[in-house]
Amino acid sequence: MSVIETNKLCKTFEGVVPVKAVDNVDLKIENDEFTAIVGPSGSGKTTLLNIIGGLDRPTSGSVKVNDIELNNLSDNELIKFRLKHIGFVFQSYNLIPVLTARENTEFVMLLQNTTVEERNERVDALLKEVGLEDKVNSRPLELSGGQQQRVAVARALASKPDFVLADEPTANLDSKSAENLLDIMLRLNKEEGITFVFSTHDQRVIDRARRVITLEDGKIISDITQNEN
Amino acid sequence: MIFKVAWRNIWRHKIRSLVVIIALALGLWAGVFSSAFTQGMMNQKIESVIRMEMSHFQIHQPKFRDEFDSKLFIKDGLSIQKIINQEKDVVASSGRIIAMVMLGSANTNGSVKLNGIIPSDEAIVTELDQKVTTGAYFEGVKRNPILISQKIAEKYKVNVKSKVIITLQDINGEITAGAFKVVGIYNTKNGMYDEINVFVRRSDIANLMVAEDNVHEIAVLLNNHDLAEPMATKYQKAYQELEVLPWMDLSTGMRMMIEMMGTYTLIIVGIILIALLFSIINTMLMAVLERVKEIGMLMSIGMSKPKVFFMILIETVCLTFLGAPLGLLFSYGSITYFGHTGIDLGSAAYADMGFSNVIYPSLEFGDYLDVSIMVIIMAIIASIYPAIKALRLNPVEAIRKI
Repeated sequence: MSVIETNKLCKTFEGVVPVKAVDNVDLKIENDEFTAIVGPSGSGKTTLLNIIGGLDRPTSGSVKVNDIELNNLSDNELIKFRLKHIGFVFQSYNLIPVLTARENTEFVMLLQNTTVEERNERVDALLKEVGLEDKVNSRPLELSGGQQQRVAVARALASKPDFVLADEPTANLDSKSAENLLDIMLRLNKEEGITFVFSTHDQRVIDRARRVITLEDGKIISDITQNEN
Repeated sequence: MIFKVAWRNIWRHKIRSLVVIIALALGLWAGVFSSAFTQGMMNQKIESVIRMEMSHFQIHQPKFRDEFDSKLFIKDGLSIQKIINQEKDVVASSGRIIAMVMLGSANTNGSVKLNGIIPSDEAIVTELDQKVTTGAYFEGVKRNPILISQKIAEKYKVNVKSKVIITLQDINGEITAGAFKVVGIYNTKNGMYDEINVFVRRSDIANLMVAEDNVHEIAVLLNNHDLAEPMATKYQKAYQELEVLPWMDLSTGMRMMIEMMGTYTLIIVGIILIALLFSIINTMLMAVLERVKEIGMLMSIGMSKPKVFFMILIETVCLTFLGAPLGLLFSYGSITYFGHTGIDLGSAAYADMGFSNVIYPSLEFGDYLDVSIMVIIMAIIASIYPAIKALRLNPVEAIRKI
């Protein structure tokens, strides 16, 4: 069963000149996939991710996550849905600056009313997984960009989501940090079967993705499955 | 965790938060202290009115207060006074003969209010003996002693042992006069009162007026201000042919002034709270608008709208609750301090209006509670607009903001 399925998905931004950001996109993403959505700026990558993530609504067409039609959910139901099913990693990390790495990771689990024991166990494991076990009490401003993005990955995984959506996760990172983050994401995908869908410009990321979907003017112009390098 | 986030958010901009907290504390202090000042002024005025002028209630013939007609006396007033004195809540009473008379000295003459009193009773009811600044309280002059105020002494250019002439109507309407010798000079610090009142012994004036055991006024002092109205009602029922009025009805201006001061205080506190309300709204709005992206992210990762609303509410309430106790504590400290030392307004003009020129601010616990409740309500109101602003954010647009 597909974890994400879109059918004739369209999104038009109204304005003086209406812009069709997503144009008739039919897409299926299976469990355990490590998929990169690529394309030039303005090709509709972020808009597609936003619609898949339930952050934005399509103008027409449908998007299903685990067979749930997102169009049928109200705004409040979408918030609950995101909390339960989707992990987000943003380009500029977007951590809560007043919380430590541990508290940032724990935050989503608190919103889910997870028990203290489960929280402690999972947060420790996740921060260890992303190699930040010695930075648990550091606040975002005390961490490098790469470290912050690793906390963001840990946070995205804390809620045990069905998949993680990452919008240009390596865009603000130096090459070493980007490699490091990519290693972590790939390992989580392989060993724990976590589905990653991310938009990127970064050729190193594209090279390591197993599936590469290329968008241009909102349309899928290629969908390639490649061997891992 | 939401509490933790809200609390830490307050300290993101320490200076800004401290400025709001201090503004809140000072604003609250200004409001509470001005209330205490007004309350203190009113308490002193009430105390002065009760202790010097009205006592807790008075008994007269119904029209006496309007006409000051010497014929409108309370027959056998001294016997009624004795009955009243047996009441357990009555501290003392004073039966007075009262007349508007002409007072003449070697230099000038004019109209004054003559009070014929029993000195020992009056000493308890009005503590008049303690107001004597020069001479003595009906001691040292055997025949027709008179106690006058500092103001009258200055106006008539008389001193202790000076002789003055009093001309008045007796209870039959006949003109009569008597020579009196100044035994003492008093000063109540209530200019309006001092300007007009002189005191002689009831027995001396009773002889002149042929008043016998009759009096024009019985002033009764109780052990509790709150008993003034019920006791007046009780004696009104007992002596229906007479007029028995509690102090607040004897001085209609006082009742009006108490109500006016209450409204005035409410308006002042209200204005201060509204100013603080907008200051908090402004700060919280800034805090929300500069965190648009962060709030958008919180909604993206699944923070529900009620929780976002709650977070902003807690931030506002925390900010208020840091400033408010500080303001209340500062208010309590300054009110307690000045409640002991008093605030000298330095002008005798207040005394001329019947107010003391040294004010002792005072505020009851209930008033602190009222202000605290108002502040809590204000904090909640102040959080609503910024919180609604946060709720209206579209996560997608919010996270795009730089």
